[in-house]
Amino acid sequence: MTDTRTQLESISEKLGITEPWVEKGGAHWLAPGTKSVREVTKVMNEVHARFITVTAFQLPAGEGFRLDYNWDLDGQLLGLTFQLAANSIESIFDICEAADWIEREVHEGFGTEFTGREYEPLELRQGDTPGMNLREVKQ
Amino acid sequence: MSYKIPMGPFHPGLEEPYKLDMICNGETVEDVKLHVGFNFRGIEHLAETRNYIQVIALMERVCGICSNVHTLTLCRSMEELTGLTPPPRAQYIRVIVAELERLHSHILWAGVAAKLMGFKTMFMTSFEIREKIMDVLQAISGNRVNYAMNRIGGVNRDIEDPQSILRMVEALELEMAHTVIPIFTTSSTAASRCAGVGVLTKEKAISCAVVGPVARASGLPQDTRRSAPYAAYGELEFDVPVQTDGDVRARLLVRALEIMESCKILRQALEKLPPGEIHTPGERFVFTTGTATKRIEGPRGEVLYSVSWKEGSKNPARIHVRTPTYAIMPSIRWMMQGARLADAPLIQASIDPCYSCTDR
Repeated sequence: MTDTRTQLESISEKLGITEPWVEKGGAHWLAPGTKSVREVTKVMNEVHARFITVTAFQLPAGEGFRLDYNWDLDGQLLGLTFQLAANSIESIFDICEAADWIEREVHEGFGTEFTGREYEPLELRQGDTPGMNLREVKQ
Repeated sequence: MSYKIPMGPFHPGLEEPYKLDMICNGETVEDVKLHVGFNFRGIEHLAETRNYIQVIALMERVCGICSNVHTLTLCRSMEELTGLTPPPRAQYIRVIVAELERLHSHILWAGVAAKLMGFKTMFMTSFEIREKIMDVLQAISGNRVNYAMNRIGGVNRDIEDPQSILRMVEALELEMAHTVIPIFTTSSTAASRCAGVGVLTKEKAISCAVVGPVARASGLPQDTRRSAPYAAYGELEFDVPVQTDGDVRARLLVRALEIMESCKILRQALEKLPPGEIHTPGERFVFTTGTATKRIEGPRGEVLYSVSWKEGSKNPARIHVRTPTYAIMPSIRWMMQGARLADAPLIQASIDPCYSCTDR
C-alpha cells in the first residue's frame, strides 16, 4: 500500500497545487487555491477517494459562507475548504452521486446555491423556506 | 401500466417515519423516491446554544439505539480541540461500551429482519438475547438507552466487574454460534426471503459511498476501526467480515459475523483492561479556536463529527453530524429497482436504517 504522504502528494500534483497538506484537527487539509470544487472532485474520483460529507459554516460579521468538503482515502481523512462568493458554488452531484443529499441539505439549511443542478426537497416540509433551518437570520 | 404506491411516512416494519414513493409495474418496483425529514429536530442548531457539558447530553439523543457512538465521536472531537488524551483504561472502556452497543444494535436488527421475513420465532429469540446485553449495559451505566458514558478526557463510569461481562459474552457467543447464525444461514425461510433480494452492486456501493455493514456486504472491506483505529482498537485483534453478493442475505451474514467479531473484541478488551484512572485528572481545560473532525465505526457504519470552537467560548460554534444511515439511505433506490413489492419493507430494513440519526 502506498504511504499516506505519497498519496497526498499525488493528489496535490494532479491538482497542480504546490502548497503542502496540513494535518490539523484530525484531518489532512489542503488549500485548493484557484482550483474549483469540481476539479478537486474529479481528482478525488481518480484516486478512488470516498466522498464523506460537506460541512457548511456561516462566517461572522457578514463574511459569507464556507464549505468544508471531506473525503476518505484508505483511512486518511482529507479536507478541502472553499470560501463562497455570494453563497454559491458549483454542484458536484453529477460527478459524485454521494453528494446529492448533503448538497440538498446545505441548500435547505443555509440557502447555498449549488449551480448546475435541480433540487427536490429533502428535509423541508411544504411551506418551509430554504435557508431558514440553520442560517442565522438577523432582523 | 405503471402506478405509484406510497409507503410511509408510517413504516410497516420500523417504528420511525419516512416515506417511499414506489413506481410499480404489476408486482415489480421500477423506481422509488425517498422522502426524509419527518424527524428533523434541528439538533445541529440547538448544539450551538449548549455548553460543552450540555452538548454531550444533547448529542446522545440524536439516536436512541447508537447513542454512545454520538457522544464518543463528539468527545473525541472536543478532546482534539482541548488537547486532552483519555487514560488507557478509559480507552478500553470506550471500546467495551461501543462493542456492547454494536451487539445489541445488530441483534435488534436481526430480530426486526426476522419479523419482516415472517420468522417470528427468530424475532423472539433475538430479542431475548438482546435483553441480556441491555442488562449488562444497564449494570455498567445505570441506563438502557442513553448510557452517558463519555466525557471530555475519558469516561464517567468504571467497569468494576469485567468477569460478569465476560460470562455474558461467552454465553452470547455460544448462542449465536449454535442457534442464531445456523438458523439464519441454513433455514429455507431466511434463504427464500433474502438471497438475491435487494442487490447493491460493488460499483453502485462505491458510487453511492455507502458505509458500514452495507458496504461490507457489497464487497468493500472498509471499517474505521481498522483503517483509522481509535480508542484501544489498535491494540486488539479482529477481522472485518466481507461478503460479495450485495443482497439482503449478505447484509445479514456480515452483521452475524460481526457479532462474533464483537465478542472477540470484548473478550480481549475485558482481559486486557488496564488499571488506572478513567478520565484525565482535574476539571480544567481550554478550547482552542479551530475545527476538529473525528470518525468512529458505529453499528451502522462510519459516523463523522465536525466540531468548531472559538477560544473562550463555552458553546460550540458549529457541529455537523454525518450519520451512517444518511450515507446509505440514498442507495435504497438502487436496491429496490426490479424488486418485488412484497420485499420492499425487508429491503429497506436490510440497511438497518435509523431515521432519527438521518434527520437529526
